[in-house]
Amino acid sequence: MTFLQPWLLAALPLLTLPIIIHLINQRRFQTIQWAAMMFLLAAQRMARGYSRLRQWLILMFRTLAVAGLIVAVSRPLASGWLGLVSGGQADTTIILLDRSPSMQGRAPGSGESKLETGRQQLVQILQTLSSNRYVLIDSASRQAREFESPKALASSATAGPASAPADLPLMLQAAYDYIKSQRTGRTEIWICSDLRANDWLPDNSRWSALRDAFLELPQGVRLQLLAYPAPSAGNISVRVTSARRQMSKAGPELMISVRLARGEDGEKRQIPLQFEIDGSRSVINVELSGRQTELRDHRIPIEATQARGFGRVSIPADANPADNEFFFVFDEQVPRKTLIVADDPQAGLPLQLAAGISADDAVTCSADLVAAEQLAATEWDKISLVLWQTPLPRGSIAQQLQTFVDQGGQIVLFPPREPSGGEFCGQSWDGWTDGAAAVESWRGDADLLARTQSGAALPVGQLQIHRHCRLKGESTSLATLSSGAPLLGRAQTDRGGVYFCSTTPAAQDSTLASNGIVLYALIQRAAAAGSAVLGKTRWLEAGNAAGEALGQWKRLSGTEDGLSTEAHCHAGVYTEEDRLRVVNRPAAEDEEKQLSDATVNELFRGLDFTRVDDRAGNASALIQEIWRMFLAVMLVSLVLEAALCFPKAVAARETAL
Amino acid sequence: MNTERQTRSFLNTQVLSRLAGLPLLSRRPMQGNVSGRHSSPHRGSSIEFAEYRKYVPGDDLRRLDWRAYGRSDRFYIKEFEADTNLRCCLVIDTSGSMGFGSKGVNKLEYARRLGATLGFLASQQGDAVGLACVAGGLVQNVPPRRSAAHLRLVFDLLEQAKPQGETQLARTLHELAETNQQRALIVVISDLFVEPATLGHCFQHLRFRKHDVAVFHLLDPQEIEFNFRRPMRFLDMEGGPAIFAEPSDIARRYHAALEQYLAGLKQVVLESAIDYHRVLIDEDYEKVLVRFLTSRAQAKGVR
Repeated sequence: MTFLQPWLLAALPLLTLPIIIHLINQRRFQTIQWAAMMFLLAAQRMARGYSRLRQWLILMFRTLAVAGLIVAVSRPLASGWLGLVSGGQADTTIILLDRSPSMQGRAPGSGESKLETGRQQLVQILQTLSSNRYVLIDSASRQAREFESPKALASSATAGPASAPADLPLMLQAAYDYIKSQRTGRTEIWICSDLRANDWLPDNSRWSALRDAFLELPQGVRLQLLAYPAPSAGNISVRVTSARRQMSKAGPELMISVRLARGEDGEKRQIPLQFEIDGSRSVINVELSGRQTELRDHRIPIEATQARGFGRVSIPADANPADNEFFFVFDEQVPRKTLIVADDPQAGLPLQLAAGISADDAVTCSADLVAAEQLAATEWDKISLVLWQTPLPRGSIAQQLQTFVDQGGQIVLFPPREPSGGEFCGQSWDGWTDGAAAVESWRGDADLLARTQSGAALPVGQLQIHRHCRLKGESTSLATLSSGAPLLGRAQTDRGGVYFCSTTPAAQDSTLASNGIVLYALIQRAAAAGSAVLGKTRWLEAGNAAGEALGQWKRLSGTEDGLSTEAHCHAGVYTEEDRLRVVNRPAAEDEEKQLSDATVNELFRGLDFTRVDDRAGNASALIQEIWRMFLAVMLVSLVLEAALCFPKAVAARETAL
Repeated sequence: MNTERQTRSFLNTQVLSRLAGLPLLSRRPMQGNVSGRHSSPHRGSSIEFAEYRKYVPGDDLRRLDWRAYGRSDRFYIKEFEADTNLRCCLVIDTSGSMGFGSKGVNKLEYARRLGATLGFLASQQGDAVGLACVAGGLVQNVPPRRSAAHLRLVFDLLEQAKPQGETQLARTLHELAETNQQRALIVVISDLFVEPATLGHCFQHLRFRKHDVAVFHLLDPQEIEFNFRRPMRFLDMEGGPAIFAEPSDIARRYHAALEQYLAGLKQVVLESAIDYHRVLIDEDYEKVLVRFLTSRAQAKGVR
């Protein structure tokens, strides 16, 4: 129970008032010399049962009346928090609002989403609790915005649904930064979320730093979690895994792959998939069995003149409308051109073969071996990938490569025969280490070594590394050798990709060339990623629009909700000059993995943290003032006390004299 | 002229003169030493015929009924009732509780009036009057005598009596029953705050000794009504612990205890056949005495 005027609880010692009055009354008794004491003593002996109970009841009701009055004037709040916590008005209330697609889930029989319900509950709670200042940090912008009153939260465009995932550590960081910069007083942070693991990132190293930072804040910060952990029952998500234009004998057609997924196993269902391309629609029934089903390379004929276009795949409405549609764009394939700079022909040749052979007839691949000095004349806007197996670039060459990366290009660097110092993207080679090593672990969930579309893992574990070159600098390891050294690491970049492979495909260094699957997949994926930024279409994950000129975006398709400045956070198709941009929710949003209670408690360990679970569509207020109830308790106690104290009418006694 | 004439607060001459016409009679035969107004267990020379009995040698020939001899040729002695005086023993409770009185007069003062008036009336008709003041024990004990000087002594003792100490009425009554060898009229004036069963034993003891027992049970109206409104602290007048009580809370049980006591006392009275009078001390003592004397006069003849 929380109190709006908790300092009035300081009057609780007044509960002893009835006892004190009783003691004072004893002093004020009229004293009389009495002869017939034997009757009084007999009467007292009779007063063992009810009479004694009555005395205690009177004391209890008097105490209850005083307690009821004190609690009533302290303005108690009824809420899901049954424990007694010290309350009071906060100086600043910060709301962290999870607007991710999963928050649009609805409970069965309810028209309101988790986000709408949470927003309304927050409005009601904040109106009751009141605060000097209200700040909203939403998951899409992650920027602190002040608003005047709780009601503004209900109508705020920045509190509506979005397709971007939430990043709770970053949002908490934003809250912490706000508290530090504004030097707020006692602060309450309200987190409204559905506890999706992809939004909370419980393994993120920021959590421990945030915990320590909040604990060090002198003004005291209380964290309140308004959680909607109930999964959206029966929800099915649709996702386009690839969409490409290709020529067939009948003419141009769109090859589109679609994946349907759901949170739990269920019976087989026929799901009508609706494709909409430039206004023309087609429907196909897909049988969903198990957790997910993928429709591969579904062919849809398109106009012969249509080289570029966009469309939408949708399924009928279910528990979460946010994952019922997926936008896509298609374009003519961009040739994948790879530049190879290698000082060791034994390494350069396998790289050239892997980069020059296309896996898809529709895609043209080419790989050119060039010397580092020739790079100055390179047309970088046609290059997808650079494979670098010479000493790390310096000077103007390094500058050109950095620009290439900043524009979305991909570079994979292999160690030279003679590492000669130098640094690129914070990394440098530190000499060769002889000795066979096996690959101990690698990331199969994302990036260059991810599993194939069929779910099969790349045979990275079969590689034999005869020797490797040590790498200095901070990087994200995608594959690790048994010695603990990285085999493949990714440097931190804003855009594009810079990978460091600690061995070469040369036969004396590794079996990358002889066991070419890993090398081929790695290079083709890097080339594909590089070519994706060269074309006039681009697939973007909502919330991540690095390098995009958002101000020039114009919506072609998608939801009309949201601000234009937040276009990258809303699923849809946008145009920027002659280029198409498609924004969709990230793949992680389709995973219904949630945080366990223990994990949540661990994340907030040591902090002043309270959690209450709510459900979508809950119309009853989570928190409400209940002083009337205590006033009623007081009145009832007074009435009962009066009834017990009321002197019984003593009948005129016949004295029998 | 008698210069030593004293006025007693508990004696009202007008009341005495009005009551003078009513005799104080005993309900049982008395064994006095002089002639009086009370029946005797022995045959005497009164004018009231008692019975005939056969002559035995040694009988006074003057008491032979010659007419009976003439009719039956047998000797019969004609016997008459004997009248004698009585020994009136006033037992006054002077314990602390007798100091209670809510209507201006306390129980002891009321007891003084009753006792002194009865003593005076008894003395006037030639009966011997004694006094026993009872509290924690026998405080004062004056054996019954007939002289006027003795009556003055009794009045003096009554005047000096003070309500103090605990009630040990039962023990004292047993003691009196043992020490008074001759039949007497025992007049007990007390509030009787003793268990009825205990009192019953005392009365049985006195009756066994062939005493005529009369009891004036003095009660204050407030003790009956118990109509307090405010919380009270009751101090025991006999030195016991004080009791805090909420009258509205305790009144019902108080009355229940009182009724239980009175019912027990009634049972004791019936079993011991004593002359019991419950008196509220706001009642005129003259009326009480009239009722007492009248009832005794009506019971005259029961031997």
